[in-house]
Parts: sequence; C-alpha cells; structure tokens
Amino acid sequence: MPLEKQYESSELNDSTSLDLHKESIAQINAVIAVNRFGLGAKPNELTLAEKDPQAFLINQLVIPEFLPTQYSSDSIMQLLADYQSQKQRDRKAVNTSTVGKNIPTETANSLSIDTSHANGGAPDNDMAEPRKPKNKPPFRTPFIELTTSSLQSAIDSPNSLSWRLLQFFSNHFSVTAQGPFMTGLAPTLEREAIAPNLLGSFEDMLLAVTAHPAMIKYLNNEKSFGANSRLGKRGKGLNENLAREILELHSLGVNSGYSQTDVIELAKGISGWSIANPKRDKQTGFLFRSNGHESGTRKLLNKQYPQSGIEQGQAMLVDIARHPQTAKHLCYKLAKHFIADEPSASLQNQLVKTWIRSNGNIKQVMITMISSTEAWQPLPKKFKTPTEFVISAYRAFDISVPKGRKFIQLLTELGQQPFNANSPAGFSDDEQDWNGANALMTKINWSVRLAKRQRKKMAADLIVNTFGQTMTESSYKTITRAESRDQALALLLLSPEFLRR
Amino acid sequence: MERREFIKGLGASLVMLSSGVSTSALATDIKTNKKNLVWVMLRGALDPLHTVVPLKDDNLLTLRPTLAKSVVKNALALDNQFGLNPALAHLHKWYLDKQLLPIVAVSSGYESRSHFDGQDYLECGGNLNNLDSGWLARSLSGLSNSVISNSKNSKQTSSAIAIANSTPISLRGSNAVNTWYPANIKAADDDIYRQLNTLYQGDESLLQNLTDGLALKDTAMIDDSKKTSRKFIELAAACGNFLVKSNDIDCAMLEMGGFDTHNNQHKRLSKQLVELDSGLAALKSSLGSQWNDTVVVIATEFGRTVKENGTQGTDHGTGSAMFIAGGKVKGGKVLGDWPGLNTEQLFKQRDLQPTTNSFSWIASVLKQHWQLSDNAIAQVLPLHKAYDIKIME
Repeated sequence: MPLEKQYESSELNDSTSLDLHKESIAQINAVIAVNRFGLGAKPNELTLAEKDPQAFLINQLVIPEFLPTQYSSDSIMQLLADYQSQKQRDRKAVNTSTVGKNIPTETANSLSIDTSHANGGAPDNDMAEPRKPKNKPPFRTPFIELTTSSLQSAIDSPNSLSWRLLQFFSNHFSVTAQGPFMTGLAPTLEREAIAPNLLGSFEDMLLAVTAHPAMIKYLNNEKSFGANSRLGKRGKGLNENLAREILELHSLGVNSGYSQTDVIELAKGISGWSIANPKRDKQTGFLFRSNGHESGTRKLLNKQYPQSGIEQGQAMLVDIARHPQTAKHLCYKLAKHFIADEPSASLQNQLVKTWIRSNGNIKQVMITMISSTEAWQPLPKKFKTPTEFVISAYRAFDISVPKGRKFIQLLTELGQQPFNANSPAGFSDDEQDWNGANALMTKINWSVRLAKRQRKKMAADLIVNTFGQTMTESSYKTITRAESRDQALALLLLSPEFLRR
Repeated sequence: MERREFIKGLGASLVMLSSGVSTSALATDIKTNKKNLVWVMLRGALDPLHTVVPLKDDNLLTLRPTLAKSVVKNALALDNQFGLNPALAHLHKWYLDKQLLPIVAVSSGYESRSHFDGQDYLECGGNLNNLDSGWLARSLSGLSNSVISNSKNSKQTSSAIAIANSTPISLRGSNAVNTWYPANIKAADDDIYRQLNTLYQGDESLLQNLTDGLALKDTAMIDDSKKTSRKFIELAAACGNFLVKSNDIDCAMLEMGGFDTHNNQHKRLSKQLVELDSGLAALKSSLGSQWNDTVVVIATEFGRTVKENGTQGTDHGTGSAMFIAGGKVKGGKVLGDWPGLNTEQLFKQRDLQPTTNSFSWIASVLKQHWQLSDNAIAQVLPLHKAYDIKIME
C-alpha cells in the first residue's frame, strides 16, 4: 500500500533529511492545531493548517455563526405562555364537560370520534377537543432544534477553535434543561448572551449572561426581591442562588476571599433582576422590577455601591469581572480546558497578564495561549470529553448528524447530555472524569456501529487526513491491518491518538 | 493491592474471552464474613427539617409558614419529637423494624455554603486539599489490610463499585475501584476487543479500562438487549446485584442529585424523596439475605436555611440530617442532639446548629461494621474519631 510505504519511509528519513524534519515538525504542529485547539480535522484541514498553524488558529477567532432558526428566548417564552393559557382553558373545558364519563371502555373505543353525540352534545363542538390535545408542549422541539443545529454547525465549521471557545463558556455558564421553562431556554443562552461577546471583554459577557432569562430563571433570581422593597413587604424575599454562583463559579472562584455577607449584598444588588411574564407584563425577556429592588447603598468586597436601580447590580458585576481573582480563575480554567489538566504556572501567568492588560479581552487571551510554547508540546495532556469525541468523529468521517433527538440521545449515552450538567458548575473536563472502563465500553459500542455504516471509507485515508504521518507506527499498523474495513475505522476512532488531544 | 485483583472475582477477562472459560468457574474463593458498605450521597444539600421533621419545635411553623404546614400534618411518626417526610414510607418501615437510624443536626464540619466545595469536603473526608483521595477509598484500603492480617492463608480482597460514569471523589485513590453505568447502545461483537488490546499496549489507562470494562459487562445483571433506565431505583437495584454477585465487591457508592430546593421545595422534595425511598427499597430487595451484612450510609453535603425564603424554598445552610440503615443496625431511634430553632440556638442566626459530626458517625460505622481499628480510622479520617455509641447489633 503506497501510503504505508510513505509512512515508513518518512520515519526512516526523519533524522537524515533536514527538510523532511522541518516538514514533519510543521505537520506535528498542524495536528496539534486542529486537534488540541480545534474539534478535530475535517478532510483537507491539516493541509490548511500546515503552512502556519498559529496564524491558522488566530484566523479562526471569529464569532461563530448559527444556522437560522425560528426560535429565540423571547419566542419560546411567548410560546410557553400561550401553551399554559391554552392548557388552563382546556382544563376548565374538561371540568365543565361530562362527555364520555360513564361510557364503558368498549363503547368509548368504538365511538371515540363521536362521543359527543352519545351525550346529546352538538357535533364537532370544542369540548371534545381537549381530550385529545393536538399540540405538543412547545419546549422539546426548540430544545432539539437549537441543540442539534449548534452541534451540526460545530461539526461543519472551518473555525472550530471558536466553537470550542463557545462550548467552554457555555459550560462555564452552565444552565440545565430541567422542566418546561429551562428545557426551552437553556440552549438560547449561548446564542444570545455568550456568542456575541465571545471575542470581546469578559465583563460584557458576564453582564449579558446575568441578565439573560435562562440564567435568571435557572438560578431563581426572577422572584428574588429585597425585604424592604415594595414587593418584599408583600412577603416576597431574597434568593441567594444566582449571586452565590456568580461569585463562586462565574467570576472570582471559590475560596477567593468573599464572604456570606458579600453573597447577600450581591443578591440585594441584583434583586429585581427578573423576567417578564408575557401574559401579565405584555412583553418577554429580561425585566427589571424596580419595586422588587432593595434600595440603599451596598457594600461588596469592601467597596461601596451607592447606585440605585439596575445600575447598582451592573456596577457590582463590572467590578467583579475586573477583579484580579476573576482573571486568575478564568485563565486557569481556559488553560486547563485547552492545554492540560494541570496547566503550568508559567502559562497561567502569561494569560493572566494579557487578561489584565487587555481588561479581560478574551480574543487577546486566546492569542497569548496560541503563541505560548506550552501549547505546542507534542505530548497530548487532555482527554476528549464525549461531546468533543463525537464531534471529532463526525468531522473525521465528514458526515452529517442524524436528525431529531438521536444525536442528543447519543451524547446522553456517553454521559454528556447537552445542557444537562445538573449543576451550575457545568461538566468537568478532567481526564479522570471521562476516561473510565464503562465509558470506554460505550464508546466501543458506538464506534463499531458508526463504522459499520461508513464502510466505503478507507481508514488509511482518514488517518492521513486526521493525523498526517504523526500517528505512532504501532497504532497505524494495528488499524490498517484490522480484519475488516469497518473494524479499522472503529479502531481509528478508539485509538489513543483519537481519544486524546 | 493491585487493581487487577478487582477483575479476578468478577471473572471475564481477555484470556477467558478467547478461551471460552465460564466466568463463574473462577469464583471459588468464597469470602467468609462479607460485610457490605453502601455509601449514598445526596447532592444539592437536602433540607433536614423537611425530611426528619422536628414536630415538637414550636418555631418550625413560624419560621416556615408554608413549608412546615405541608409536611407536619402527614409526617410519619418516629419518636415523640420527630416525624419522617411522608414520602419516605419504606424508610419508615425500616425504622419500625429497628433497621434505620436517622441522625439529626449533623455536619461534616464544612462551614461555607458552596455545593461543590461542600461535596468535595464530604467526599474527601475533610479539608485535606487532595481531590485525588476519598474517605471511602482509604477505608477500603484499611479494610483490605485488616482482612489480610486476619486471614493468613486466604487471598481475600475487597473492591468497590461506583454506580456512576466516572470515579467519584469518595472512591478516588484506591486501586480496587471501578465504575459502572448503564448503556443503551447495542454491544459490539467480541472480536474488536482483541484488536483494542493490541492498540492499547502503549496506553496504560486505556488498557486497564478495557480489561475492567469487559469484566463489568457481565456482572451488572442488566439485560443488554433491553433499554435500561438511569433512574435511581434501577441503579440501586444494579448496585445490589454487584454486591451479591461478586465475592470481591463489598463496597459501593450510589449518588442522587436534585436536592437543591431554592424554590417550590415541598413539591420538588416530595418527588425526590419518593425516588430515594423506592431506590433504597430496591437496593434492599436485590441484596436479599445480604441485607443482614450490609450497612447503608446516606448523607448530603450540608443543610439549608431554617427560615423559608421568598420562593417557598430554602437557601444553603449548615446543619443537616443523615441516615444509617441495614439488617443488623441497632435502629428505631433518632440519634443526634436537637439544638432547637430559637434564633439564638441557630448557627449564625440562620442555619440549624450542628451538634454531631457526619464523619464521626461514619467512623463508628467503619469501626463497628468493618472492624477497622482506631489506627486505621485515623488514616481514613485524620480529623475525626468514632463515637462511642453502639449502632450495630
């Protein structure tokens, strides 16, 4: 096989020819660029990266583009409100109707279309309708459409670094799809609040996320009102949840020196940050309820906030975003996500420097990371999360994801259902959380199944597309000498080279 | 101890896969005196006052005008002071059968209010600044040492199973731990495993996972062809199967999330507690006669505010409740000192004041059930000593 020969000859000549050596370093760096920073190579991507892997990555720092959709957080909230009113009307209708109540099962079945006649009601009346609701609850379809279209875009994108970055922040500001409201809203946060601020300042992102209906609803701030506000005096109270997670997870990080008093002060500062009830408020989206805001000067992390209204919370958030602890916390997480489970202090310091100098400009921090020497160490120090694994498999095979909920079910099987981290801390990206016996068995089963449907593809071609000639000889041989084509493809997906990055 | 030993009791390995030896033929070394310990971690900070309800504390209704009302009337009576949330019907029966010990006003000693930090603390066994080692893993090593020294000729080993996608912190740091979680994807044909065995020769962790994964495949007793659910009740039943079917596995961890009830607490907690209660019942029933040799410890990272908040829920607080259950547990009474709910009796005027430490109760279990010595316990939980209270028959 010519490819294998080429493979072997390059290994032989590696040390003897300076040009070839240069070439192979360029290729190793290209493989690092597309695998460590990106979501795995699509066919031809390696060639594009090879010329200048750093520039290749920096050029990928563009705002991710989503496929057009009819759904937004506003439209989903409106749909849910309409659905709930309809359900209420239906319930009333059922309660006032006695249709079909005492009909024996057999008769009811045979007369199922026309029970209203049996009761002497008018044909085709509205009352029979609620017994067979036509409308499905309006949150699953948007959830599936928004989630799968994002995943598909990540698979198709030539800028997969930006999609990785989006996934990082989407997980940093993790919201869980639980219950009708959050199922609909969860996938809108990354599109509406995170993506637009992905390459700008973190402070804008924090402000946008904190004011987004998905985050407000998820961490119960929509009914959090100051005890001395007008709404508070009517028995509504403060809820600390959002304020605590902003400090602990979204910005400063746990054990960074804030106190319980700081949590309460921030909770008071953002009291009244709520969401509109489309029925009552005749609008959708974020709504500041000034009659629920705790008035007075707040003191957060030893600084006074005399502002009133929504400006108070905004001023607090801006300062939290600019805090040096936030720089440390976020830079650590970024380095850990992209480079190594235990990133070096020197890399973290470089990122923090850029963060502080650029006032938290995420693009600048990413450029510093791309320019660091730590980023280009050949040994892979990260293990792909299930989502990264699946996306990279689809990219390598150059195929589209299955329609509907199947793709989400697959990620659920692999332990990483989108928007279901079940905790505001999001999913871990530590190797020890994903590299387990049971997880491997599930990956094996899935890879074998996927490979069987892709029999026309040649594993050797895919290896060249994905890893050039950087794969270890033993992996290359085991894969290309497999007993069947589809087994070779499965082995490629399951190889240490493919599972790690 | 070698991690490989875990596999021995389970059976299936690559060798057997190719030679076709039956898996049960190898499990000859029947362990005498098998003592199971099941650790159930409730994530999200369970509200203690809504679970083990202090019916006789007059402050309850004042501090929780809506929440207390919804649970006081139907509480299942324990002693003259406390009642159990009506959702915990099976646990209540265990209590009446003297197989359940509810403990009120406990805390791990963790004083802040972060879930994740509090959970890490509870899993590590204190603020030991090392997330790579959990108290359950350390006690497992202690158990293996004591078993080895007690039975000179036998090569009995102990291992643990976590019913989870990845090893939880509680079980990190031991070589004898594995994880299992149900999958719904059809199993691959066997011949891929031999190829993978070659492919993973240079990658130790993947090779180990492959070997362990093959062994686990056969032990859960869940039908591969059927769709399996990940409901707590199914996971708990599978957990019991592991303990019964394997001679080596005598330690297991289950976890359940969803206890973070900042709003609409009564409804949410009712559903959660029913799930927990029926899951624990399923665990008991799959254990069969081994229930008599099993202790189940159920705890959460911390409690919740004593006062209800503005959204019919509660926020993060300190003192919580825990449970110890099992066939030979000296149950039927409520343990722990009740601190009272007057403002001056509360921790920082807001949380239930903890009066005993969760780790000391755990240490008592390790001492009385697993017969760990005080020295061994000092290795497992360096900051805590076992209580001198008889909790096992």
